[in-house]
Amino acid sequence: MSLVAYTLVAFILVTAVATALFRDVLSAIVVFGAYSLGMAILYTLLLAPDVAMTEAAIGAGVTTILLLLTIARTSRPSTERLFEPINVPALVIVGAFVLVLVTQLLPEMYAVGDPAAPVWSNPEVTQAYLEQTYRDTGVQNAVTAVLAAYRGFDTFGEAVVVFAAGIATLLVLKREVFA
Amino acid sequence: MIPTDINEIFLFAAAIFVLLAIAMFYRAVAGPTTQDRLLAVNVLGTNTVVILALLAAGLDQPWFLDIALIYALLNFLMAVAISKFTVERGGVL
Repeated sequence: MSLVAYTLVAFILVTAVATALFRDVLSAIVVFGAYSLGMAILYTLLLAPDVAMTEAAIGAGVTTILLLLTIARTSRPSTERLFEPINVPALVIVGAFVLVLVTQLLPEMYAVGDPAAPVWSNPEVTQAYLEQTYRDTGVQNAVTAVLAAYRGFDTFGEAVVVFAAGIATLLVLKREVFA
Repeated sequence: MIPTDINEIFLFAAAIFVLLAIAMFYRAVAGPTTQDRLLAVNVLGTNTVVILALLAAGLDQPWFLDIALIYALLNFLMAVAISKFTVERGGVL
């Protein structure tokens, strides 16, 4: 289990850095697909099937096609260089940020299955959701029920935001349809 | 550290497949043409399906296979989209 997880994390890191540094956008899209594959396996290993399925659908399917459509409508500069040169000041800033996150934030987070985590320290709440969810919503997966039913208005609000962004794009481009 | 339990063997095999994924990733980075990269990622996708199936067997979690199925379908879609894009520039779907 841990052997799989460690090699996966190494694979994801390498693909993420390669995606960021590739000069050619089409190659970056292809390598981003590889990154998405690694992430889906990692989510599955962490027992988050709903997130893994979303990653599979969005990462491999929608994002690739969306980005391809984008570069089809813009220019794709050809170049001899394989990688973009690294911007040192940006690297320093991002490195400091990541260092702070890893050293300050990560120790504060609960480990997987930690009995002190809020999920377990309030067993009544967890138990109440597990007992009521199926009766209330008819959905067998409690996580899905919370996302789609109990937090339905929240999800609806997100959809409204995306819709508004689409309308705003049409207004800026002075068009009436997405075509 | 030769595994003896059958579930351990499945997990060990999954780890080896992840290592193979890194080898395939070399081809995706090195190229030199987009077709090489596309093929490398397509093989990586198939590899992912195998890894997920091995994990499903090794961890006794049959629902992993659902994700493997989704990936098998979408990996094909991704390959078709990129191939079409490189052949007739601009045509994606």
